[in-house]
Amino acid sequence: MSSSAIDPFAKPLPSPDPDSQPLWDGFREGKLLLQHCADCGNVQYYHEFFCRNCQSENLEEREASGRGKVHSFSVVYRAPGPAFKGDTPYAVVLVELEEGPRMISSMIDTDPNDIDFETDVVFTTEKINDDISLPRFRLA
Amino acid sequence: MSIRGKAAIAGVGLSNKVGRVPGVSPLALSAQACMAAIEDAGIDKTEIDGVMSTHCFSADFHRYSIAISEYLGIQPTFSTNIQVSGGTSAAALNQAAAAINAGLAEVILFTIGDSMLTGMTPDMALRAMSESRDQQYEMPFGIPASNTFAMTCARHMHVYGTTRAQLSEVAVTFRNHALNTPGAQMTEPITHDDVANSKLVSTPYRKLDCALISDGGVAWIMTTPERAKSMRKKPIYILGGGECYTQEHIFLMEDLTVTGGVTSSRLAYDMAGVKPSDFDVAGIYDCFTGTVVLCVEDLGFCKKGEGGPFIADGNLTYGGAIPTNTHGGLLSFAHIGNGGSTLHFIEVVRQLRGECGDRQVAGAELGLFHSLGGGLSSIATTVIGTEATL
Amino acid sequence: MTKGTEPTIRGKTAIVGIGQSKKVGRVPGVSPLALAAEAANAALADAGMEKTEIDAVISTHAMSTSFHRFSVAFSEYWGIVPTYSNNVQVSGATGAATLNEAAAAINAGYAKNVLVVIGDSLLTGMTPDMALRSMTESRDQQYEMPFGIPVANTFAMTAHRHMKEYGTTREHFAHVAVTQRKHAIATPGAQMTEEITIDDVLNSKVVTTPYHKLDCALISDGGAAFIITSAERAKDCPKKPIYLLGAGECFTHEHIFLMPDITTTGGVTSSRLAYEMAGVKPSDFDVAGIYDCFTGTVVMMVEDLGFCKKGEGGPFIADGNMTYGGAIPANTHGGLLSYAHIGNGGSYFHAQEVVRQLRGECGPRQVEGAELGLYHALGAGFACAGTTVLGTEATL
Repeated sequence: MSSSAIDPFAKPLPSPDPDSQPLWDGFREGKLLLQHCADCGNVQYYHEFFCRNCQSENLEEREASGRGKVHSFSVVYRAPGPAFKGDTPYAVVLVELEEGPRMISSMIDTDPNDIDFETDVVFTTEKINDDISLPRFRLA
Repeated sequence: MSIRGKAAIAGVGLSNKVGRVPGVSPLALSAQACMAAIEDAGIDKTEIDGVMSTHCFSADFHRYSIAISEYLGIQPTFSTNIQVSGGTSAAALNQAAAAINAGLAEVILFTIGDSMLTGMTPDMALRAMSESRDQQYEMPFGIPASNTFAMTCARHMHVYGTTRAQLSEVAVTFRNHALNTPGAQMTEPITHDDVANSKLVSTPYRKLDCALISDGGVAWIMTTPERAKSMRKKPIYILGGGECYTQEHIFLMEDLTVTGGVTSSRLAYDMAGVKPSDFDVAGIYDCFTGTVVLCVEDLGFCKKGEGGPFIADGNLTYGGAIPTNTHGGLLSFAHIGNGGSTLHFIEVVRQLRGECGDRQVAGAELGLFHSLGGGLSSIATTVIGTEATL
Repeated sequence: MTKGTEPTIRGKTAIVGIGQSKKVGRVPGVSPLALAAEAANAALADAGMEKTEIDAVISTHAMSTSFHRFSVAFSEYWGIVPTYSNNVQVSGATGAATLNEAAAAINAGYAKNVLVVIGDSLLTGMTPDMALRSMTESRDQQYEMPFGIPVANTFAMTAHRHMKEYGTTREHFAHVAVTQRKHAIATPGAQMTEEITIDDVLNSKVVTTPYHKLDCALISDGGAAFIITSAERAKDCPKKPIYLLGAGECFTHEHIFLMPDITTTGGVTSSRLAYEMAGVKPSDFDVAGIYDCFTGTVVMMVEDLGFCKKGEGGPFIADGNMTYGGAIPANTHGGLLSYAHIGNGGSYFHAQEVVRQLRGECGPRQVEGAELGLYHALGAGFACAGTTVLGTEATL
């Protein structure tokens, strides 16, 4: 059993799946990629193999503007485990992107006290390792 | 009060491909199967008000049914994730019929997708191994998936004289069935010698005695008889269901050669008002060849101990007493995890609808579906039939 | 959709036995299976039944164990061979979904006497590995966990938005905590026994804004069990049967960022469906058990369950409406906030308290003349909602 133990001091990193690999490839290149349905106009975050709205496979990948507003947020003081303890307090945000979809991320280079509802934020990325860069937001 | 005839299957579907399917996520495999079932039923996704699923080994979802609902863009007002390991496939049918009968849902979609062949991380693979083995009392002894099942087979051979050749007959029969089924993972014929000479896994089981490991997605849609009649295909009715959970650990299994299938099938047959000789076609969980030997006995097709000769006489195939796993089973069509035997169920439905072309069992009206898992801890049986059987 | 019309399970099944482990809260040295067995034995005695009469076992995932099939492990441990079993997994909504499933199974003829049971040791029995794994409970490993989201976080964001849109305050949230602590103090066996004030809540250590420690549910060890049977069989049981009158569920999203409106939950739909089946309206209820993983959750729920308008939950509760003398005495045992929270089956205790109230067994904390009860369970960052309406024979 011990060989499957999670290292509590290592931050959990995403394991991309076949749907999401292009999204994470995009993050690695500093891009936020959204899927646009050519049939019904739906724009979606996270990647699926079809349109969540109309099930069409006619999806185009487009880079988002990166602009969004804070729809809600919560500043973490009590970290979920040893890996994040050193980062507290940090602001986890639910951002509503200009294109419509919302996503979860956290603020970078930002005093949590400077975050409020509808605050304008802009997408950026933070390189974690050669495979993974995480999406982050900073104040616009 | 019973659910006999109160619910019907209106749609079935598989992912575009089953077997070795790299590069398609479990949710995508599931979604493909769902869209196929939706089209099979001739409905719109918005008509689905209930979504059921089960545990997915290759993805970290706690609530797969909710994840797939979101992925499909629907918001069900009934949903659940069932977890009785391999018995889940039949238990899900029983539960769906109950839910429809209770007015909790009207059109239920069941689906699961899993990438057990190409999509498992080492961590997931290790966790999957605790599936039928206890971390304290079994795993420390290095027990592979086949081991506890293998012990029951070994015991059966010891007590009843079941032979290597009889086990091989199961594998060869289902491989022949798979050869006749478009989309089967295995496409090469095998002989008795091939089975007996394949690599030893855990005695007495060799590689070809063991189920496949596959990627794939499955889905079915169940609804009321009234709604089913208005949909595209001939409704296939749920006539009866039964389950039995005899133990958690193999060392507390009373008799290693007798499974809870005796009880689960009896309950299902009673509810349906049928007996074993009434069945035209069956889907029987074939995680291992020996398991099928035990099952044909416990399901009442022959006496305890006579499963080997029964099978060697050709009774699991066309012209025999109970054509079984006509698609090739877990042994040769595919095995996609917790919902693996839903593939069997879909095949039985297709047989009863008369859709099987070259592999059709002529005049099939009454079908048996039997699923099991968790090292024979969880057993569930469902009886289905055409309108003629109501 | 024809939900709410005949045939339904209204009144066809009843809860006839309830039980808990001998102790709930901090219970080191008692395994989850043992906790479950204590609860099952208590429920069996309460129902006046023999173990051999139990033919079905429904459970859920016990987070402090590695069992894939807790219901089957339990059946073996307790020494029965059920002919119906399942482990339900819709996170916090599991309690309500389980009651619905039990009723459906009995109604369908698959089961006669259903034991619903769970035991879990979230406080004293989790290995670090299990604790970390349980954190993925309502967070996606790709789209949420990398950002260091504690359990409270997604719920906290909804509460935060509610404050922004409706002017709800932290004091409003604190009223929930203070009320339920008072309820717990009146309840033998509650994990929390010390009185708290509004200021205590406001000044407790911040977890993730706007939630502070006393806004958050407990983490506990314990076991809970129910026995459910047909209305006919229930007549022979020693205790007053409490009938399942209505059931409804709703699953709106998997990820918080796909929740259509983060201040309105699927509880609107699940409750409406349950009320329709039962033929009742919110003002008919005498008592309620409402999932209180966080204070703000309760504020949102009194709105979504129809007790007040959207946005008015804060003042509604501050006016004393979720306690004795108010519109809807709720969580009279103290809830997840002050009684105990044992994981997926956490709200089993809420349902049990509602049953006790309807039976008239609550002594000093009795709600006078309680006949109709509401039980609402939710989970996974509001992804899952389940509502059950319970009532005495008078409500049939």
